[in-house]
Amino acid sequence: MFQHLTNAISLILPEVVLLAAAVVNFAVGPFLVSESGQAPNGLRHRWGIWSLLALGIAGWLWLAPVPVAEASHLAPFQSDALVWFVRMVTLVTGTVLVLINWNQTADRDSAESHACLLLILAGANLIALANDLVVLFLALELVSIPTYVFLYVARRDASGQEATLKYFLLSVFSSALVLYGFSFLYGAAGTTNLTAIHRTLAANELQPMPAMLLVSITTIVAGLAFRVTAVPFHFYAPDVFQGTANSAAALLSVVPKVAGIVALVRVLGQPSVEAAIHAGYWNIAAKSGGMIYLLAIATMFVGNLLALLQKNLRRLLAYSSIAHAGYMLVGLSIAVSVPAIGDDGLAISTTHVGGLPALLFYLAVYGVTTLGVFALIASLSTGERPLETTDDLAGLSKTHPAGAFLATVLLFGLTGLPPTVGFLGKLTLFFASWNHGTDFGRRLAMCLAINAAIAAWYYLRLIGVMYLQPSRDDTRRTAGTPAFVGVSLCAATSLAVFFSPDWLWQALQRIGS
Amino acid sequence: MSELTPALLWLIPGAPLIASLFIALFGKVLLRGRSHIPCVAALAVSTIVAVFLNVMFLASPGSLKPDSTLLSMTEVVAQHDGDAGSTHQGDAHAVAKPQLAAPGFEWSITDNLAVRVDVQVDAMTALMLLTVTFVSFLVSIYASGYMHGDPGYPRFFAAFALFVFSMSMLVLAKNYLTLFMFWEAVGLCSYLLIGFWFQRPNAAAAARKAFVVNRVGDFGFIMGIFLIWKTFGTVDFAEVFAKIPGVAEKDPSVITTICLLLFVGAMGKSAQFPLHVWLPDAMEGPTPVSALIHAATMVTAGVYLVARSTPLFMYAPTAQMVVSGIGATTALLAALTALTQYDLKRVLAYSTVSQLGFMFMALGAAGVSEKLAAFAVTAAMFHLFTHAFFKALLFLGAGSVMHAMGDVIDMRRFSGLRHVMPHTRITFLIGSLALAGCPLLAGFWSKDEILVALFEGTRAGGHETFFTVILAVAVVTAFLTAFYTFRAYNMTFLGEERFPEEAHHPHESPPVMTGPLYVLAAFSVLIGLLLGPTGVYAHALGQSPVLEHGDHPHSWMLMGLSCVIFASAFGLARWMYVVAPGVPLQLESKLRPLHRLSLGKFFLDELFTYLIIKPVKIVALLCTLFDKYLIDGLLDLIGSIPATLGRLVRPIQNGFVLNYAWVMLLGFVVFLIQMLRAWAG
Repeated sequence: MFQHLTNAISLILPEVVLLAAAVVNFAVGPFLVSESGQAPNGLRHRWGIWSLLALGIAGWLWLAPVPVAEASHLAPFQSDALVWFVRMVTLVTGTVLVLINWNQTADRDSAESHACLLLILAGANLIALANDLVVLFLALELVSIPTYVFLYVARRDASGQEATLKYFLLSVFSSALVLYGFSFLYGAAGTTNLTAIHRTLAANELQPMPAMLLVSITTIVAGLAFRVTAVPFHFYAPDVFQGTANSAAALLSVVPKVAGIVALVRVLGQPSVEAAIHAGYWNIAAKSGGMIYLLAIATMFVGNLLALLQKNLRRLLAYSSIAHAGYMLVGLSIAVSVPAIGDDGLAISTTHVGGLPALLFYLAVYGVTTLGVFALIASLSTGERPLETTDDLAGLSKTHPAGAFLATVLLFGLTGLPPTVGFLGKLTLFFASWNHGTDFGRRLAMCLAINAAIAAWYYLRLIGVMYLQPSRDDTRRTAGTPAFVGVSLCAATSLAVFFSPDWLWQALQRIGS
Repeated sequence: MSELTPALLWLIPGAPLIASLFIALFGKVLLRGRSHIPCVAALAVSTIVAVFLNVMFLASPGSLKPDSTLLSMTEVVAQHDGDAGSTHQGDAHAVAKPQLAAPGFEWSITDNLAVRVDVQVDAMTALMLLTVTFVSFLVSIYASGYMHGDPGYPRFFAAFALFVFSMSMLVLAKNYLTLFMFWEAVGLCSYLLIGFWFQRPNAAAAARKAFVVNRVGDFGFIMGIFLIWKTFGTVDFAEVFAKIPGVAEKDPSVITTICLLLFVGAMGKSAQFPLHVWLPDAMEGPTPVSALIHAATMVTAGVYLVARSTPLFMYAPTAQMVVSGIGATTALLAALTALTQYDLKRVLAYSTVSQLGFMFMALGAAGVSEKLAAFAVTAAMFHLFTHAFFKALLFLGAGSVMHAMGDVIDMRRFSGLRHVMPHTRITFLIGSLALAGCPLLAGFWSKDEILVALFEGTRAGGHETFFTVILAVAVVTAFLTAFYTFRAYNMTFLGEERFPEEAHHPHESPPVMTGPLYVLAAFSVLIGLLLGPTGVYAHALGQSPVLEHGDHPHSWMLMGLSCVIFASAFGLARWMYVVAPGVPLQLESKLRPLHRLSLGKFFLDELFTYLIIKPVKIVALLCTLFDKYLIDGLLDLIGSIPATLGRLVRPIQNGFVLNYAWVMLLGFVVFLIQMLRAWAG
């Protein structure tokens, strides 16, 4: 038992680094700010560099060969290809978030703000590492609780406070649902260890399933659907995105989605053929497929249709993030469902595009692209010339040509057009669902295609506004440097990965196989 | 050194690509008037690598042993395994042909969704690369002077470098698909550069015309590729060629169809009748572009495509005859048109079309017999090679004249420039001599080889009458070529000294422009004699796996005929335009219908307008009406559905946390009920 615990520390070294850095922030931060709340000018730069340093060390540890740890029925953590992937995603998105956050917080708040960010990133990693319901829940809360503080610190005016409170209340509600679901799962399986739970369930797969397990699945999926902003658990997103600062909206658009999707992947596990054929058999993955299917379709349509009506940029991006959550849920419902089975008892899938790799690929693609857009807004927005509504974008091609160009690349990515990686993301999702071989998969594929078409309208309209509409004020905009570096990084990644996607795709193939 | 070579190979297209991106990104802000520097430097690198490559290929084929993992050598000749129906004696002289392949770029996410871009060099590619990189290097130096002060200076060099990248990738392609990809890329660069001065309506229209006419050819090309894919199951050159005998046995007609489709593509790109109409208009672009893209390199891509596909064409004698026939028609029509044009650049443009026709005539002669194939293809490729130099030279000379005459290029408005522009004059004269086929200069040797190839066609092969006609056309065209070339030279540089009023200070061009002229002139004089009769070029090209060893016929009689043709045409042009300048006008009034036919370019543009463009426009109008009123109305109706639905859902989003929580709970309960119902049965 103790050996498992000591081994466990070696598995989470990057997270230990992030947590330690955050602790330093909390411990040292207050001493650099005077009693009256005055901070030396430029303090935020120091904390920004400190965060980048922490992420750098975590990244260096990430590069080191992962200690292989077979998921055991005793260990609290597991280390596999999914962990490698999630760490990569949090490192990249974390770096961009630090850059976005750089000038978004006041000098006096920067220590706390950056500390929260590091905690959130560590929490997201721990979700992937968790091999125990208790650890998993703690990790989920390690993402949620610092998020409340981060939201509040980022923007303290009335609308910021309203947004923070809304998020807090609804998030607590969803956490309660998740915990409730976990307790049912524990009740059914008799253990909190995920490996042990899946073994127990597999052993009982030939038994009729107790209703308690179904209640558990529904509750867990509903609770985590809040994190993913799936309809009808999405309502907070537009209000909170609009009310809060750009950095906080950027964070909310990506990290909770990573958290929710990864937690769902870990808890639901793999589908089993028998359970799909016979109703009532003990396989929670296959049983959750129907619910996630409905969530996916509702989420895609509601997100895209309401995005059509939006004028406020962050609100539009909130609906856009909801729509993208729908695309991810398409991948998830394919990942947890049994593909069409031929007479030989093997899947008749014609390609090797699986639901899970497609889902994770899309998650990374979406994260990079959407963060780039937020970074651009954060970079170009100033007190006297904000970028709040779509009209503010008018004439950006004249007032900031480089920004307009990068925005075009990123919006192409969100639309799913080549030569950006967004195209590959949609393509792989489409392949995965179409080649699933079931009617259910084909329906999802068609809904995905229809929604991609609807979404093109509001993304391309933004490009039209930037390039074709005259600006009210023709003076050049100035871009905030750190966030603009973030934009360039995202746009460059989105183009580069398009041209050589195979390394990432090959790495994803190892997950869950 | 040989281990390095495959990586070096990527430098040839890589350097211009990097230069192009660099200029595109920083040209406007940082480089401005220095935008030519990255381009020229990159092309210098490419040229050096190309020269190195050729030296290596030429030195000894044995040096390219497959001793490194990156190096691959294939014996393509030995692939004809002498099956019963084959007429190949093949294996007897199977020798290893050097080929160099560099590991390419693979774009793939799954096994059935993978695209490979490999580069591969054999002797034919190496020689093409040499032409492309060296000529473009010289033209880029020239352009840095010619384009000086243009507001679009960075844009010009960005597109220019991008063109060189695309063109070298085109010849480096290992399969038909990659070739097609970069075939389109050079088309795009051509479009961008013809329309470089897009503010001028003529330039914009010319760019559009070039693009649209090329679409017709490209349609044929891509259909050809589809058919190749369907027939052979691969688009890789070597794999396709290896499978030909088997396919030919089953269904020879399919190979003819493939060849004809590929040739349609070649007709578009290489401006062959009736798709040649875009090339003269393309002269609206800056003159360096005309010299490089529309004379020396891009327009020869069609010739390269047919030469590269020689193994396919060998099995399609009908297609070969079509190639020869179209080539002859084009050569004659273009030469006749060039006789009466007054725009110096247009004369050269029609001359280019005509010379490309010559190359296709020779390519078609490859169908006469197995033994003649290599010789005929070599003749075409050699003419392509020499033509690139002297035609680029002539265009650059014309550009130099334009530069001095305040952008006036109408030969009726100036004459006698020999004193003002001595350097341009002497180099232009050398270019004219080379084009006209003056003995010992480049054009003489390559044209002679083509005539010999056609002459062989009149003696054997079963289509003697056909090739007699072709040969006659070639001889007449050769005469016309020499005549119109010296007509242009005499009108421009000889006679009394006259300038248009646009030319404020008629002056010789700066050394940065005349320098490349002299280098090209030197090459126009030397390459024919050094590489032609010595057999160096034939030997070098013979290393290509698509060519097999064959005869090298020779004919003193044709060489003598060439001399006579040149001398008589030269003399006639001198008499008509220098000694007795009144004659052309008298002739014009006596032969008015013929003159108008030639001046009006055989009214092909008008014919196309009435036969194709007008009917298409009427159909387009009908479609527009249908689209505007029926389809748009329907679409607007459908399009309003999402927004209406969105408005319907919107009221739930009212900002109250309690509402949100209730709806979440409701959603959860609905899902729970649904799950439990499914469970219950």
